[in-house]
Amino acid sequence: MMIKFWGVRGSIPSPGPNTVKYGGNTLCLELRLQDPDRLIIIDAGSGIRELGDSLSFNGGAKDHLNTEIFLTHTHLDHILGLPFFAPIHDPETRLKIYGPVTCEEDPLEEVLGGQLSYRYFPVRQHELGARIEYIDLKEGKYDLGQGVTLITKYLNHPLLALGYRLEYGDKTVCTAYDTEPFYNVFCTDPCDPSYDEVLASEGDWAARDENRRMEEFFKDADLLIHDGQYTQAEYDSGKRGWGHSPIEHVLAAAGRANAKRLAICHHDPLRTDSQLDELSHLFCNPGIAGDKVIFFAREGQEVEI
Amino acid sequence: MNHVYPNRELHLKRIQVAIAKMPSLSTTVVKVLETCNDPRASANQLKQVISLDPVLTGRVLKLINSAYFALGQPITSLTRAIIMLGVNTVKNLALSFAILKNMKGSGTFHAFSTDQFWLHCLGVGVVAKSLAAVKGLLPAEQEAYFVAGLLHDLGKLPLNNQFPDEYFQVCQSAGKKRDPFQHAEDRLLGIDHCKVGAMIARRWRLGVALVETMSHHHQPDDATETSRDLVSTISLANQIAIELNIGTAGDFTSDHAMLDLLTDKVGVDYSKLSDFRESISREIEKAKIFLEIVQK
Repeated sequence: MMIKFWGVRGSIPSPGPNTVKYGGNTLCLELRLQDPDRLIIIDAGSGIRELGDSLSFNGGAKDHLNTEIFLTHTHLDHILGLPFFAPIHDPETRLKIYGPVTCEEDPLEEVLGGQLSYRYFPVRQHELGARIEYIDLKEGKYDLGQGVTLITKYLNHPLLALGYRLEYGDKTVCTAYDTEPFYNVFCTDPCDPSYDEVLASEGDWAARDENRRMEEFFKDADLLIHDGQYTQAEYDSGKRGWGHSPIEHVLAAAGRANAKRLAICHHDPLRTDSQLDELSHLFCNPGIAGDKVIFFAREGQEVEI
Repeated sequence: MNHVYPNRELHLKRIQVAIAKMPSLSTTVVKVLETCNDPRASANQLKQVISLDPVLTGRVLKLINSAYFALGQPITSLTRAIIMLGVNTVKNLALSFAILKNMKGSGTFHAFSTDQFWLHCLGVGVVAKSLAAVKGLLPAEQEAYFVAGLLHDLGKLPLNNQFPDEYFQVCQSAGKKRDPFQHAEDRLLGIDHCKVGAMIARRWRLGVALVETMSHHHQPDDATETSRDLVSTISLANQIAIELNIGTAGDFTSDHAMLDLLTDKVGVDYSKLSDFRESISREIEKAKIFLEIVQK
């Protein structure tokens, strides 16, 4: 299985001299299965434009005839590249687009259609060339055929967002973004007038149980691609509840779950190349990471598992 | 007066549409909007306001149980649902249902007022929770009893909304003839609130225990053994709420024989019920103050 990162940035495309090394495109992953040859795309952030161009440019007709795109969720940074994915305008393209429903339970087709309306983009959804099938996903286990199994898990983000665990042969790649650790949202301060002992203790238990389920989800993954937008200090300074993880938590959770390789992604748009190099030095050093391979994902990077 | 109810299939279709568009109750809607539009509103406040609205509680549980269909046991705890979905998602969900306009508050409630219906649902929830506490159940289990009590009569909303005149007659007939409420519903509408409640619970994937509660709370013996204790407790809570005049959902007549039978079955000493009468009133007053109903 080959994985290529076409976009690793979170929130908004961030071009400029400070993001040349790690890249400014928002999330898009290419998964290549070699036998049989199969392309699976995860997320349609701005990185998908270059992926689409590479398919067209390389004359990869076979690729864009039949491709699957798995959207982790429908926040703008994960779907804004879709209208610019060249194969979507090709009548020969067959696409299956998978993704979670929204909390109002609107179907995926309708949600994606929002940005493909005339006021936002000149080509409307029903005018797209490609033949597209939209498939709503929930939490569960799916057989994708050709020996590929998909397990989905809801993450902790201010919108229903799915993590994807793809198992193929004896290899497993797992995505867990956008997400932050589950925590007790209820008041735990006995001095606070709204304190409710039962609520506080049940909230603690539920959060712990959800974090346990999350680690079970990425247990023994050969490659875990995880949200790591903040450092713990940043997270603790007002970023809790924003749906993104502190790097220190990710390292600990990945360690407990025995993930063999960890790619940290969804870099903050303000994070410069030199800052990411510093963080890399701090957290990915073999002296700290032990026998685990830990890296801050870079645009254009390829990983074979 | 004999009534021949119209085409039952047509009724079912109208009921299905009403279920899909059920908004939160007008009694709670102002507070729901206020809480969910306030970025500083805490999770505790959010939970409090949702747990006072049977429709919203059902909707949140629907989302958690339909989206997370892989989970073995259906989730009936709002606390767990809020942790899993997150405060903002729950706020947005609540807002989307609070602004639905198809039920025009008390105007369409000829049979009973929305406020009285709300009070009855909350009353049964609070009594059920108290009964669960008396039975020595853990706090998390007590919440499941509260939720079951809160939701038990949800089936009345689509009926009252879609057939307000007929439903008014149902209440009149049940009151005058001392006709069991369900019989009057069945006679005049061709369907009763228990069947509609079960339709809602199944459609919202609320799990077997809540399907059985909504379906069998007037005949707890029809519940399966697994759910019978819960259903009997809700049935008893319903009778107590009627006996204590805590709101009304159209059925004014308490059934003393059933009350005696159920206290035995649930294993609660009837004399002890008066001990927590005061705590029930306190809980309900607290809810009224929170919703600012007192000032209305």
